[in-house]
Order: sequence, then C-alpha cells, then structure tokens
Amino acid sequence: MSIIEVSNISKRFGEVKAVDNLSFEVHPGEIFGLLGPNGAGKTTSIRMILDIFEPDSGQIEILGGPMNEEKKNQIGYLPEERGLYQEIPLERCLTFLATLKGMDEHDASKKLKDYLERFDLFQYRNAKVKELSKGMQQKAQLITTLVHDPEIVIIDEPFTALDPVNTEMVKDMLEQKRDEGKAIIMSTHQMNQVEELCDRILLIDHGHRVLYGTLQEIQQGFASRDIMVTPLSNLPDRIEGVREILKMNGRFRLVLDETSQPNRILRNLINSGVELMEFEIAVPPLNEIFIKVVKERDEA
Amino acid sequence: MTKVWHIIKNEYTKHVFQKRFLLSLLSLPGLVVLMVGVGLLVALLSIDSSPVGYIDHSGVLSDPIPLEEESSIFEPTIEFRPFNDEQQARQALEQEEIQAYYILPEDYPQTLDVDLVFTEAPGSEVQEQFDQFVKQNLDSYQALDPQIKERLEEGSVITISSLDGSREMRQDQWYTIFTPFVAGIMFFVVVMTSGGYLLQAVVEEKENRTMEILVTSVTPSQLMTGKIIGNIGVGLTQLVIWILFGWIGLFVAGLFIPEVQNISISGEYLGVLFLVLLPSFVMVAAIMAAIGATMTETKEAQQISSLFSLPMMIPYYMASVIIENPNSPLAVGLSYFPITAPITILMRMAFTVIPAWQIAINIAILVVFATLAIWFAGRAFRLGMLRYGKKLSIKEVLRKQV
Repeated sequence: MSIIEVSNISKRFGEVKAVDNLSFEVHPGEIFGLLGPNGAGKTTSIRMILDIFEPDSGQIEILGGPMNEEKKNQIGYLPEERGLYQEIPLERCLTFLATLKGMDEHDASKKLKDYLERFDLFQYRNAKVKELSKGMQQKAQLITTLVHDPEIVIIDEPFTALDPVNTEMVKDMLEQKRDEGKAIIMSTHQMNQVEELCDRILLIDHGHRVLYGTLQEIQQGFASRDIMVTPLSNLPDRIEGVREILKMNGRFRLVLDETSQPNRILRNLINSGVELMEFEIAVPPLNEIFIKVVKERDEA
Repeated sequence: MTKVWHIIKNEYTKHVFQKRFLLSLLSLPGLVVLMVGVGLLVALLSIDSSPVGYIDHSGVLSDPIPLEEESSIFEPTIEFRPFNDEQQARQALEQEEIQAYYILPEDYPQTLDVDLVFTEAPGSEVQEQFDQFVKQNLDSYQALDPQIKERLEEGSVITISSLDGSREMRQDQWYTIFTPFVAGIMFFVVVMTSGGYLLQAVVEEKENRTMEILVTSVTPSQLMTGKIIGNIGVGLTQLVIWILFGWIGLFVAGLFIPEVQNISISGEYLGVLFLVLLPSFVMVAAIMAAIGATMTETKEAQQISSLFSLPMMIPYYMASVIIENPNSPLAVGLSYFPITAPITILMRMAFTVIPAWQIAINIAILVVFATLAIWFAGRAFRLGMLRYGKKLSIKEVLRKQV
C-alpha cells in the first residue's frame, strides 16, 4: 500500500506550467529519489504534497486520504531553503518547532536532547542559531525534520553543507528510518547519494514524468552490451567476441559483438590465462542516464 | 488550539525577553522622568530666596507678627525686611541685598493698593508670602468670619454641568484635558511598536525561510491568530507596565502636590476606552501582518507601515477643531473612520457626551474592520508567504484564488 499517492497533478504559475499531469506513488519503508534538473518542478510537487499549494487539477492522497491538520504532524520536511529563527537559542528554537508538530514540551525536550547529542550539537544548545556554522544549522534543521518521528520524511538536498563524517551519519539515519518503515522522499542532485540510498526514483523534467521505477530497473534499461574488467595480468590484444577494448583508469571496457554473451567472454578470458580481479556488466551511472535523458528531451 | 498557544508563547517571549523591549519599555517613563527632572531643575534655579524689603506708611506692619511658613526647596521662606524710607530700600536693592521692595501707602487699609519695586520681577512665591504676611497683620481681615476667610483664601472653582446632569467639568479637573492626549499617545506608541514587531516577525520569517517549516506544521490562520494575540500581549504588557509607572509617579507626586491626589478617571471612560482600543489594536496588528506577508524586505515594509501611522495621528492635527466642537460633522466623521476612530473617540469623550448609539456604531465598525483585516491578512499570508523577492499586490490578494 502506498503512503503517498499522487494522481495526475498539474500546476501552472502564470504562463509557466510547473507540473504537468504528474503521477507517482511512495511506499512505506523506502527511500524515494525525486530527481530532475533545476526548474523541473520538484519543489512545486513537494509543496503540493505538503498542501502549501493546491494543484490546479489532479489529486494527492497522504496516509490514505486528503491532507489535514492531524497529518501535518506525521510529516517531517527539510526545505531546500533552510530556515530557523536566528535570534533565539538553538534549543528553544527546536523545541518551539517540535511543539508545532504536536509534541508536548516535555517530550520534545527529552527527544531533542538525544538528537542534539547524536548530532554533536548538545554543547551549542544555548547558543543563538545565527552563531552556528552552516553545517551545524543544517544538522539542527535535520533534527527539526526528524524529532517528532514522522511517518513521511521529505528532504530537499540533505547533504549540501555536510562534511563526509556527517554525511555518513545522516545516511545511516535515513537508512535506519527506512528500516523502521518510514517513507522518505529525497530530492537531490547528488547522483552518487541516490545510487547509494534510493530504492526507487522519479525523474521529472519540465513538469513531466521522464523516468520512474526501481533504480535497478532504470539502470538496466540503459545498460549497454559492455563489460567492465580489471585484470591482474595483461589482457590479450584480441578477445573472441569482443569488438573493441577501451582502457579506462586501470580498468578495461569491453565492447561486445552483436552476438556474444557475457559468460562466453568470461570463459574466453579465463581460457586465455588472464587473472581477473573484477568482471561486471557495465551499468551506466545514474549521472550519465540523467544527463542523457535531459539532453535528449531538450533537443527534442 | 495548543499549537496556537505555542505560537502565542513563542511570539511573546521572543520579544519580551529581549534587550530592545526593555529599552523601549523604559524609554517613555525615562523620558517623562527626564522632562520632569529638567523642569524641576529649571524651577529650582529660578527661585530667588533673598530677602524682600518693605516700607510701611500705613502702620499695618509696624509691629508685625512674623510669617511662620515651613521652608521647602521649592518654597523657601522669604525674609521680609523693614526699611524706614524709600532711599534706604533703593540702596539695598541696588547693592542686591534685597530682590525687591514693597511700599504700603498711608491709605493702604482702604485702597489695598501696594507698589512693588524691583530690578528683576520676583517669583510668585514672593507675592504669595507677602500677601500672607500682610493678611495676618491686617486687623480688618482678621476680623472676618472664618468661613468667609476660608472661601476667600481658596478662591473660586467653576463647575459646568450638562443639562441632563450626566456630565460635569470642574475647573480644577485640568487632567481631564490631558487624559485623552496621554491615553492616545500611549495607545499609538503601543500599537505601533507591537505592530512593528509583528511586521518584522513576518518579514523575517519569510527572509530566513522559517515560513516553510511553519506552514507545513500549522494552518495560516492558526499562525496568524497566534502571532496577532502574541503581539497584542507584548503591547498590553508594555501598556500595563507604563500605567503602573504612571500610577507610581502620580502617587509620588501626590505626596508633594496635594491636587494630584484628587485625580480620578471614571470607570465608564475606561470601559469605553477598552472596547474601542481593543478592536483597533487587532485591526492595526492584522494590517501590519498583511503588509509583512506581502512585502519582501523589512525596510520596505516599515516604510509602508508608516503610511498607516500618519493617518492615525490626524485627530491630533485637528485637535483644536475637535475640542472646540466635539459634535461637529468632522469630529463625528473622524470617529467613524476606523483608522482615525480610536484617538478621535478618546478626545471627544473628554469634551462631550457621545450618545450611546454612536459609541455602539463606532465599536461595531471597528470590530467589523478588525475582522476584515484579519481575513485580508490571512489571504495575504497564504498567497505571499512563499514569495521571495516578488511583492504581492493588493489586487492579487483580493482576487486570486487561495
């Protein structure tokens, strides 16, 4: 069963059609990547899900029905444009925002303490928000997104200001939330993070759905008839069934003949005495797929 | 409802526990204390307690009972020094031994005329004390009936009553004239400061993007209600503290100036004041919030908000006309117009009896406008909250589908 069901939504701002007949579903227990070039309609779609904007047409169901006040407490949102009260102490700011998500003050401060410790911010709890670094503010904002234990987490570019250590920690946290059965929508341009985290993705461009499905399905759909190998010894100049051998950073890309199959090539390599460290079907990185699809659409 | 309460609390504590609130709180009483202090200092410096001479040709003061008055800083007892002839007195005046001298002619008991000679006019305390000094030595005065004497010394108090007896005004109730001005200025300052806080809060939330978090947690009307009530709370706190300061000030002043103890303001006046000022307060707050929601920069929003503060002051510019004829069409008209209503009503109430039906209509108009302003602010909020960098026009707020 889906936790968010978006059916044929459209939204127009003046002459610009920001979202055009878009449909998708998000399930509990998955990290759902919402991708697209700048101005594709990602933020508008998110804002429609959050009931900040109403769609001109189409329907959105959240937790089995239209959005209401009660359901707002079940959503954690990290907007792309970060914002916290700058002039008040961090802990007061976070407590206030948590109470607006329906937590009582006592529970909020108890849970906040755990989160502040986990995010290494406990010692800064009495500092004014404006005195914190950008990375710290981002972590604080993530706390606001997660502290009320929402069923749906919507995060826009969660890693931008984070160092590698904090990036790992946030990734772990998101995976933990997914394992707990929460639905996470992540919008980002960092394709490596999408490859590492997302179960399914939706790529939109000019408000249209371009790609939609599991990461694996999508990558396989774009897979070529190439094999990546990393040999421990030299490769022979010619391999039967291989049309071309391309050297790439110590690895080799083998472009196959029309008729040959990967397992035949593997057998040929082993028979010719090559020792292999790595042998894999070349799957195009998401980044490449993204650029390819968007460019093709632009040209069309 | 609890969310609204959290917003009220946050809005209130955010401002009240700030240094700048404390400063604005202390600024008005500080200014008053400073002005009173400077006034007292000037008065003190202008008091001349040097002796005053007199030449008595009438014999009234030939063996005078000396004046027994308690000496205070503001009213030092002045020594009255007798001179035999005018020449001696003039010499003493020129040598600045005395500040002035009186001449009582022979026929003084009949004419009660005296001459006063000075180089620089002496203060009223000299006149009063000499008056007292002569009176207590004048047999004809002492022979008067004590009741008549008392009446004479207290002077007259004119009381004007309206025909139906519902209102009266006494000469010694000078404060009735000041009350509407003081109350009006306090109202204006409080409304503008707390309205200013509200305006700033809304624009800041847009500027620092807290708005997106807020609107995904509460409805725009919850947010609006919480903010308006919170900021009115801030304004009322300011008002209550100022009234308290004023009270203490009057109490302290009453210890020195007995007239101040007589000051009293009728409960009816305060009741109407409350009913008029509360909806006006809500209306201004909502207008401020709406401006905040449609503008994108604090500076710009403050400029626009000053457009509202100017018309609020119109009744003051026309104070003389309103006071002279508080039931003129102009005065009545200004009290129907919501922006000028609060101060006009305060003024008219001090100088006339406003018919109850007029007050009822005034309050009703204010309540309707306050409600409309909240509605308008809610719409402006919903449409303008996520607009960064682009202003929202009034037309858009009124027409656009939310």
